[in-house]
Amino acid sequence: MGIKVLGVNHRTAPLDVRERFAHGAHEVPAALARVMAAGATGGVLLSTCNRTEFYLIADDEPAVETVWALLGERLPSSPPGGGGSGVGGVHDYGYIARDREAVRHLYRVSSGLDSMILGESQIQGQVRDAWEASRAQAGPVLHRLFQTALHVGSRVRTETALGMGTASAASAAVAVAGKIFGDLAGRSALILGAGDMAELAATCLTDEGVQVTLVANRTQERARAIAERLGARALSLEEAWPHFATTDIALCSTAAPHAVVTWERVGQTIAGRRGRPLCILDLAVPRDVDPAVAQLENVFLYDVDDLQTVAAQATARRRDEIPAAERIVEEETDLFWAWYGGLGVVPAIKEFRSRMDQLRAGELERALRQLGHLTPEDRARVEHLSQALLNKFLHQPTLALKQAAEEGRGYGLLEAMRRLFGLGGDEGGPGGPGGEGPSA
Amino acid sequence: MCAVILTLHFIALALYGLATALTLAPFVGLPSAPRAITVALPSAGAAVHVVAVSQLTLVGLGPALSMLALCLVLLQLASERLLRGSAVAFFTSPLATGLVGLALLSGLAPGAEPSAGRNAWFILHVALSVLGLALLALAFIAAALYLLQFRELKARRFGQVFQLFPPLERLDRLNRFALVAGFPALTLGVLLALGYAARFAGGLHVGKAQIVWGVFTWVVLGWAVWVRVVRHWAGRRAAFASIAGFSAVLLVYVALKLAEPGAERFL
Repeated sequence: MGIKVLGVNHRTAPLDVRERFAHGAHEVPAALARVMAAGATGGVLLSTCNRTEFYLIADDEPAVETVWALLGERLPSSPPGGGGSGVGGVHDYGYIARDREAVRHLYRVSSGLDSMILGESQIQGQVRDAWEASRAQAGPVLHRLFQTALHVGSRVRTETALGMGTASAASAAVAVAGKIFGDLAGRSALILGAGDMAELAATCLTDEGVQVTLVANRTQERARAIAERLGARALSLEEAWPHFATTDIALCSTAAPHAVVTWERVGQTIAGRRGRPLCILDLAVPRDVDPAVAQLENVFLYDVDDLQTVAAQATARRRDEIPAAERIVEEETDLFWAWYGGLGVVPAIKEFRSRMDQLRAGELERALRQLGHLTPEDRARVEHLSQALLNKFLHQPTLALKQAAEEGRGYGLLEAMRRLFGLGGDEGGPGGPGGEGPSA
Repeated sequence: MCAVILTLHFIALALYGLATALTLAPFVGLPSAPRAITVALPSAGAAVHVVAVSQLTLVGLGPALSMLALCLVLLQLASERLLRGSAVAFFTSPLATGLVGLALLSGLAPGAEPSAGRNAWFILHVALSVLGLALLALAFIAAALYLLQFRELKARRFGQVFQLFPPLERLDRLNRFALVAGFPALTLGVLLALGYAARFAGGLHVGKAQIVWGVFTWVVLGWAVWVRVVRHWAGRRAAFASIAGFSAVLLVYVALKLAEPGAERFL
């Protein structure tokens, strides 16, 4: 057993593939339950528009294969990205990291170093949400890992300038709309969906003077809550389509599993705009807007990948901060690994000493049977000698193990000790945190 | 006098040429020059150019081209304030450089000196005509920038054009302003030419082809203004209309000039 991360992200899979792997919050428990049933003892599923990653405490077989199968089922027979289909197809897009590399990976993710938009801060909240959503299945090691990941993210953002500037998808949305309309003050916006991303982008737009006039959502209560905050009117989705005739900006971020803004629904309405430009910002994954809508004259449609491309251009300044951020990640990875190594050391030392003491007691008993003439005082002296010898022999290995664990090097020594002395391998610590030590 | 005019034109040419090189640098992967420099160079060039033009006799091809170049640079500097960027310079800067070069090649020596009594009338005719042409050229440039930016935005490409060109809405406004101001200026300039010819030159000395094609050009330009102002065309359609209008002016001028070459008259 060990820490593993496996999944796909923006570097390994295009948007049309990533959106197939994206898990809604309601899908997370079932997906994790399936992986846990395959032998994992802890699991967290992080699913954002840029990545779907399973963090597991598991052996490679069969939990890892279960994850690949689970993701593979979401691929069609001929994926749009041109990769393979099913489990074979997942391997075209997927990656896996183990143990220390897995820890480092999550720390880089939470600090924004692995984001499409370098240093973006939204990922911090997404890591927190994933941890919260998977609390029941996470287990103590992953609890600790995610807790420290959030700490690493905070450290990187406060101690470096990696998060400075406006290189988020939401600010890119403002930049793109600005290239169409020039001054955004006085423009009107319609919001479809009531997710955090929509609200964040809407806030960026209102900061530029855009008037958010309508918020449409499948559930009216959530729409009303956001509409109140933005000074807009709440609608149902069906009521929203005619408003595509008048609005300047449509911001789409519903949780629908398929396109809701289709040619059939808005084509006629948009055609009646008499050439006035309409900027549609599709922030949803899976996408909310049928790409065919972009064919309409004077309709400018941008999805998450487009906005992130724009935002990525603003990251050039942030690149100078990468070395400082990577140093923090390395420091924190060492600390976690020391803690994780320490988890296995205590039970391993206890077992080691217990096993040696059993041997000592057995050999002492046999020797004393042959030395029946000894007085009780002499027998006590021999027993004391055996105990003292054992303590002397075990002192240096015990110290070395503890010290190695504190320095984050316990993993190798523990493995060596287990092999040399035939100790059990399933009792906590690196390489086998079945029991997973103390809770975080 | 002639040497001073030539020297000033060469200085203006050098400054415009340098400004052009700096303006176009980002398109060949070089870093953008500071905005202060890209504004200062054409401004300095225009200042020298104004002095040079003020000493010209505005008769003939060379002086007209020189004045057209000056108008373009002045409109470029003015529109850059409106657009809050230097995108117009991508076109006007090389165009003005080329026009000054052509003016020098075709000769800037004084032509037939109009009599003092006719001077004000004539100068107004030339100034309005050249200003009208420069404004129509600016409308053409704004339309071209609009179409390029439109294409990039529609295709979701976020390269140099997206970064450096102004927003669509501002380009559309500039196009409308330049077209709507340029057409009456040119019309008035032509009417002044007719009045000047009738009053001071003893009648209109132009060929039938010039009249027919002149009217054709005026109709095309008038149509571009009509669809813009009366039919409320905007955006891409209006950009195409502006391009059609200025293209008509340019093609007819080149055709007429090829039919009757000579540097002693602008047309």
